Amino acid sequence: MPVTEPILTKRIPTFPWGDPKNRKTISVDEYIATGGYQSLEKALSMTPAEVMAMVKDANLRGRGGAGFPCGLKWTFLPPPDGGRRYLCVNCDEAEPGTFKDRLLCDYDPHLILEGIAIACHACQLDTAYFFIRGEYHHQAKVVERAIQEAYAKGIFGKQGLLRGKSPFAVDCYLHRGAGAYICGEETGLLEAIEGRRGWPRLKPPFPAVKGLFGRPTIVNNVETLAAVCPIIEHGVAWWKSLGCESTVGGAPSYGPKLMGVSGHVTRPGVYEADLGITLRTLVETHCLGMRHGKRFKGAIAGGVSMGVLGADQYDCRMDFDIGRLGDVMGLGTACPTVFDEDTDMVAVARNIARFFKNESCGQCTPCREGSGWILKLITRIERGDATTKDLDLLLEIAGSMGLTPGTTICGLADGNNWAIRTLVNKYRSEFEARVKPYAVSMSGLQLAVARV
Amino acid sequence: MSWTTKPSATTKIARRAEPYCTAAMMSRWTSELLPRYATKHAALLPILHDLQHEYRHISYQAMIEVAAFLSIKPADVMDTVTFYEEFSTEPLGKCVIGICQSIACEVCGHKKLQDHVSARLGIKPHETTADGKFTLLALECLGSCDTAPVALFNETLHENLTIANIDALIDEAAKGGGGH
Ligand SMILES: Cc1cc2nc3c(=O)[nH]c(=O)nc-3n(C[C@H](O)[C@H](O)[C@H](O)COP(=O)(O)O)c2cc1C
Ligand code: SF4
Ligand code: FES
Repeated sequence: MPVTEPILTKRIPTFPWGDPKNRKTISVDEYIATGGYQSLEKALSMTPAEVMAMVKDANLRGRGGAGFPCGLKWTFLPPPDGGRRYLCVNCDEAEPGTFKDRLLCDYDPHLILEGIAIACHACQLDTAYFFIRGEYHHQAKVVERAIQEAYAKGIFGKQGLLRGKSPFAVDCYLHRGAGAYICGEETGLLEAIEGRRGWPRLKPPFPAVKGLFGRPTIVNNVETLAAVCPIIEHGVAWWKSLGCESTVGGAPSYGPKLMGVSGHVTRPGVYEADLGITLRTLVETHCLGMRHGKRFKGAIAGGVSMGVLGADQYDCRMDFDIGRLGDVMGLGTACPTVFDEDTDMVAVARNIARFFKNESCGQCTPCREGSGWILKLITRIERGDATTKDLDLLLEIAGSMGLTPGTTICGLADGNNWAIRTLVNKYRSEFEARVKPYAVSMSGLQLAVARV
Repeated sequence: MSWTTKPSATTKIARRAEPYCTAAMMSRWTSELLPRYATKHAALLPILHDLQHEYRHISYQAMIEVAAFLSIKPADVMDTVTFYEEFSTEPLGKCVIGICQSIACEVCGHKKLQDHVSARLGIKPHETTADGKFTLLALECLGSCDTAPVALFNETLHENLTIANIDALIDEAAKGGGGH
């Protein structure tokens, strides 16, 4: 069922329900006056296991990129042993094209904090770190103020959750990153909180078992945690009435989703839509169509890591089936960057290749070296200095790096792999037009024959 | 991600008499930061943010002082400092202009902005003007793709930039000695 009223954007004016120019940061008093912290109150009237079961039944899938079922992840935690247990809130949001979590930080930070408190109750986690990327200076101030307000209202603090309504006490701290995309990867994020370089850790052990400071830890995206509040408030059946079922026998895509659209559209911005909406509807209805009436040429599916949707994929559905149906890695953050007919896709590939080369943390050879070679080859193609052989080499290098081929520690390399392969495959003629045919020189051939 | 190295055998660490980590800073770190984390090492990022903000760079001497404060090795501090793009071992300009160069900003015209600022200030990305007023950085996605192209002037984000309004911002920063 389509989303007919704003849910995550209830207090954030957003088209078609409200005008973004009326947006302002919601203070704790306004938040409470408009029904805020009632989901927490309701959650505290249930046992942690009941809350966890609700989130699991709702099939809330992670909004940070991987789409992993949130409730299932929570069940991986070992039973409490009296030691510390952590929640790490992932607000690194450095995936190019993605700007949806910022909306919640800017205008409705208490929605995230309420989700944090509910998650801490459900999972019995006593300390939450709100990890926010360093470049979000303004957002860090807004969230810090909201955390202080929440302490003042007794949400967090020694007395126990919600003024001692539950004796279980939670502390919440802001922790700022310092400019490294890789710290969005969940174990890179743990290293960054521990004060070290953001080098992802080998898994297993998974964070739920051995995470921050070696203790059980849950890492969740900002939007995932915010979505927990309406699930508790309105119930599982309501949540499942939004979004769509899988058409390929996969897991369903329930609920609303924040979708940030950028690039060549008339009205870029963050929209709240139901999972399963087509890219065409999102662009034509929400974003008022392509800019200057140009034709749609393609779109990054949801952050550059996911790869590209081609000109013939405008009707593709934005849900968790997209990986299987759209020949991209997945839905990612559901934030498409749209390209019009005048876009040079080789330049797009070069831009993305540069991003991955800059952001590779350098631990794994295929990623560190591969990202450099991919950039070199695409730069050569863009300049017109490459041959068809370089194009093949490019695909070979890209296809060999990542968790899926099993050559790296983390998924950054898969992002590079998918972005480059889908761009070359879906716009092959554009790349071919830029390369010279590969010719073996006669003398070289004779030499080779002579050697045989 | 930078891979800064220094020729350890020959480097002379510049020293100054007064410490970078002031008593006021250290007492704030002790009362506010250390209690938040299970290890002292974990307070490193917020401490480095303070120092970078205060001095516009993190000197080797400062790294040694921080290491002593946290009872960790200076090499551990340097390891972290050199990994993160926001920390700089050399002083940055009073006004740091970070223009986003990622995909949405590129397809919405970041290149002419960057070229213009570069020509106007006479520096390439990742350089600082001789008078120490401006540093130009080429940054990756700043999370504001719907208002591309965008740039950070120190801690303030400016959206929907054109050559005219980025010029005005530079004029203003130049007048105010670069600060923002
Ligand atoms: C290279 C890389 C970067 C990532 N960046 C982010 C990010 O910025 N924000 C985020 O929420 N998840 C990011 N993720 C996904 C996280 O590893 C993790 O799956 C997610 O935070 C889990 O939260 P969720 O289940 O609530 O989505 C990234 C993953 C990789 C491999
Ligand atoms: S895949 Fe790349 S980013 Fe990930 S750990 Fe390896 S080198 Fe680092
Ligand atoms: S691409 Fe420039 S802000 Fe995202």
